[in-house]
Amino acid sequence: MNTNDHVLDLRHVSKVYGSGHTAVTAADHVSLRVRRGEIVLIMGPSGSGKTTLLSMAGLLLRPTEGQILLNGHDAGRLNQRQLAGLRLHSIGFVFQAYNLLGALTARENVEVVLNIAGVKGKIARRRAIELLEMLGLGHRLEHKPADLSGGEKQRVAIARALANNPPLILADEPTGNLDSKTGQEVMELLCCGLGRDQGRAIVIVTHNDRLRQIADRVLWLEDGRLSESGGQGGQSVVQAASLHN
Amino acid sequence: MLRIAWRNLLHERVRMLVSTGGVALSVLLIFFMNGVFAGSEEHAVAYMQNQPAELWLMQAGVENLHMSTSLLPPDALARARQVDGVREATGLLNAGGALELGEEPAYSYLFAVDEDAPFGQAWEMAVGDPDPGLRELVIDVALARRYGLEIGDTVTVLGRALTIAGLSKETFGIATSISWVNKAALSSLIGVPTGADSYILVQLEPDADKEAVAHALQEAVPEANVLTREAFIASDQEMIRQMGADIIRAMTLVAYVVGLLVVGLTIYTATVERAREYAVLKALGAQSGQLMRAVFAQALLSSVLGFGAGVILAVVAAGLVGRLLPEMLVLVRPEEVARQAPVILAVTALAALLPLSRVLRLDPMVVFRT
Repeated sequence: MNTNDHVLDLRHVSKVYGSGHTAVTAADHVSLRVRRGEIVLIMGPSGSGKTTLLSMAGLLLRPTEGQILLNGHDAGRLNQRQLAGLRLHSIGFVFQAYNLLGALTARENVEVVLNIAGVKGKIARRRAIELLEMLGLGHRLEHKPADLSGGEKQRVAIARALANNPPLILADEPTGNLDSKTGQEVMELLCCGLGRDQGRAIVIVTHNDRLRQIADRVLWLEDGRLSESGGQGGQSVVQAASLHN
Repeated sequence: MLRIAWRNLLHERVRMLVSTGGVALSVLLIFFMNGVFAGSEEHAVAYMQNQPAELWLMQAGVENLHMSTSLLPPDALARARQVDGVREATGLLNAGGALELGEEPAYSYLFAVDEDAPFGQAWEMAVGDPDPGLRELVIDVALARRYGLEIGDTVTVLGRALTIAGLSKETFGIATSISWVNKAALSSLIGVPTGADSYILVQLEPDADKEAVAHALQEAVPEANVLTREAFIASDQEMIRQMGADIIRAMTLVAYVVGLLVVGLTIYTATVERAREYAVLKALGAQSGQLMRAVFAQALLSSVLGFGAGVILAVVAAGLVGRLLPEMLVLVRPEEVARQAPVILAVTALAALLPLSRVLRLDPMVVFRT
């Protein structure tokens, strides 16, 4: 397989918090490759290191050792400014708590990441409206987060994650605050309509066992170690070659 | 980022009111204090400004009308009148004196000019005669109202009971009050030779060269100091400024500090409460410079709104004070507004530094906390 197909490539990545006898290993030589259009589910018990792994994959946390390649860029060689730029253009984040800006409308919440990327005015506005309409929020454009339901908020967050057309989406418990029906709808939109079909790679950290159905690969993280768990629901399963260890 | 700043500001209406209100009050304080000071200056030089005298003669070594004692020889006025280019000249005798109006005496400058003097009297009368007789005086109408006095009432000045013959206007300020008495009466009250003057006010012929006449006056009255009206006014204003500058400076500093603290605290609180949102922007890829602009913009918007409101409040307050306390002139001058604006904005920028440092230190990983 051509390495250019891999949007995300974690190579023997470890993260140790603290030092000496108080040191805690949150990620222990984790290797993971994610292809374009692939949906990877990472599951595991609380405290297993899922958030640490997602933070490193999202370039928000530098590993203690190992290498992270995002879209071919070696994150270890980049400064904070360059990392921010790479995050902006290459990663879309979807959070459990939505993390929308309370003072802005749904449209403005999507526009804001376009503005950060230098896309301004009508172009940004049109793009934001287009995405929100695709996600069924055409009638909620000018509503603030406080006036939206959980499912609507998460769809705004998805629109925001897609705004700069990133090749990778990182989702942290995206259905954690949603009822099962809404969660299912949101995940179908994220993964099928706007994710896999458009060639985006999606990494989802979750406790939600139902999401196995939409995943190409399901990985299990425990004590900072990543292992193959196997997909369910008839989806294609991880290839052993995708795991370096 | 400006939109985020603006929306954050509008989203929290109470905080916006506190923030802009705090700045507005500080600005009001600054302009009010400066306005009172400017008004005092204006009042203090009103006599010079309202007389047609372009040149002033005073005792050598004296440069002020206020806080000064000047005495010229009795024949100085006649000598001055002889100088070519002099159209009219008036001798002004002045002294400080207490008007016994109530339980506490009111300090006033006592001015006196000859009864036939072409100018030098009160320039605007509310009622009565501007030329007081031997046992008469003219006081300001606002001063008279304050003490419930009218034409015909008696006021004791320097131990002598004088009857109010007229009420002047615009001659009573918090720093300066002028009353007119008869010149012969004042000479005897303060013990100076009859005909002696403190100052000589000189009006020039229309085509006269001011500098040449000033030079000629200096030669004709060598014991005098000759000043143009502009120089005389500037000299008095400078003296008043020096007297009040420390107080005004201290009050202005207090106002700046209040403004700094109000803007700083409100922006800091707003930033801390929105720390997660700033962390989200950071996680999504916003650069530090962009976050800095958002925080600065929020502080500046608060400041600009507060500044505008403060100027409006100061203008309204100046008008109200003028109606309620006629002796208190509060001037809010456009040039003062222009002078203070960059200072207030600089103070705001300073106030934004603390929240800014907080934003820059934010850990974007908080976005994963629920």
